Amino acid sequence: MNVQKRLIIIDDDPDFVGGIKSILERAEYQVDTAYNPKDGFQALQARRYDLLLLDIMMGRGAEGIALARKIRKDPKLREMPVLIITSVREQIAFLFPGQAVHPNFVDVDELVEKPVEPKLLLEKVSALIKAAEEKHLQPQ
Amino acid sequence: METKSRILLIDDEEVVIDSCSQILAGGPYEIASASDGTAGLRLVSEFHPDLVFVDLKMPGISGFEVLEKIREMDSTIVMVVITGFATVSSAVEAMKNGAYDFLPKPFTPDEFRMITRRGLDKRRLVLETIALRREKEMLREQFAAIVSHELKSPLSAVQQNLFVLADELSGLINEEQMKRIERMKTNINDLIQLILTWLRVLSVDVNKIRENFKPTSVASVLTKAIETVQPHAVRKDIELVSSIHEPLGSVNGDEGTLVEVVVNILGNGIKYSRAGGEISIRAEKTAGEVLIAVSDRGVGISKEDLPHIFHDFYTGKADRAGEQSSGIGLAIARRIVEAHDGSITVESELGKGSTFVIHLPSLKEQSNSEPHTDLEMAHS
Repeated sequence: MNVQKRLIIIDDDPDFVGGIKSILERAEYQVDTAYNPKDGFQALQARRYDLLLLDIMMGRGAEGIALARKIRKDPKLREMPVLIITSVREQIAFLFPGQAVHPNFVDVDELVEKPVEPKLLLEKVSALIKAAEEKHLQPQ
Repeated sequence: METKSRILLIDDEEVVIDSCSQILAGGPYEIASASDGTAGLRLVSEFHPDLVFVDLKMPGISGFEVLEKIREMDSTIVMVVITGFATVSSAVEAMKNGAYDFLPKPFTPDEFRMITRRGLDKRRLVLETIALRREKEMLREQFAAIVSHELKSPLSAVQQNLFVLADELSGLINEEQMKRIERMKTNINDLIQLILTWLRVLSVDVNKIRENFKPTSVASVLTKAIETVQPHAVRKDIELVSSIHEPLGSVNGDEGTLVEVVVNILGNGIKYSRAGGEISIRAEKTAGEVLIAVSDRGVGISKEDLPHIFHDFYTGKADRAGEQSSGIGLAIARRIVEAHDGSITVESELGKGSTFVIHLPSLKEQSNSEPHTDLEMAHS
């Protein structure tokens, strides 16, 4: 019953997205992409995704954080696992004044740093999807 | 048009205010006056003076109190006290409390003009310093943002695609070609690491470290640091000898960054020691502070390098037998220690070894712990 999982990448760097997408597609995932938070959120509302891969620094600042918060407030999207992929490390987060880019500011499931080794990426993705499915099967 | 400097005179003697106003009349000044402290303080917030003259002896609230209040309102305002000869000692006292200068009564117009000019020069310097500091801070932040976004992002994307290529091409290209890709990956990784190192320098923001301060056990910091470097020491056959005089107590600080400091210094010791050498770690609590001393018998630091080793990107002129250094470890260590209100010093002799000493202010023990005298007895 192995239904193909559908993922979405929201990241404003097309080169980076290309690299990530190709790794995921080789691992038999269906991958959609969006290059800004607005298009990304629209795509998320249009259909169901098994996982979101989200960049932090987009557009004028930490727009990825704002999107992650919006997703957490949305009853339909709240359960979707999010993997944050960022080049902003914890310790430099405060260098963007006035912008909360600290990964702990938002309730995300996992965080990996750019660039990410294909093996590590695939491990994280499959673990997150599996965890979300198991959570879903548990009686509330 | 040049903006006028604003001068506020606070004195209960009308004759003083009148004569001062007359002396400065016609100059590039705007002058306001008050005959007592309360009215003077109100003018400080309405008139925004650059320079304030305060008479120390006034009815109502005292001149000292006025000085203190002004300093609370705006510490960049330059304050000069007016005082009679008999009260020169109180003028000195006032200067200890933040007054920049004093004007003894009676004074000549020239004396008053000179002190006014000096006071306004001081004010300009104070404001310039603040502006420069702010600018430096902004540059630092912007540089960090540029380094991280403009340099690191494209490199990360290249590396990401190399990862993918290596994956996709495995089995399709020969070993020699694969090695070429691997070398590219290694080189790009080195570049990314270099950028991260730079960012690390820029990002040790003293104020941010301080936000996470809590009581931190010094013994635990040392244990963690020693554990971290132990494998490197073993590999180079270097013995770490520690003599820790318990109880070391706690400091108000951030464990992670303090461990980083000690790891850095121990790591340097190992790096610059000969195989088979020894590094000693001594720690003790003395009156009000904790002392951590790390001594090695390694290559040492030359006299000309010694004053610079705590500066960013300084790697030293002396040849260090091929040891690579980014020249930032000690600079970061210093910044972290200083954020903890501590100090770090070094003594070294070329060829003999180096001793780094860290002083950190102790946290006052809770009342339920041992009384202070017991601690001191433990040392005697």
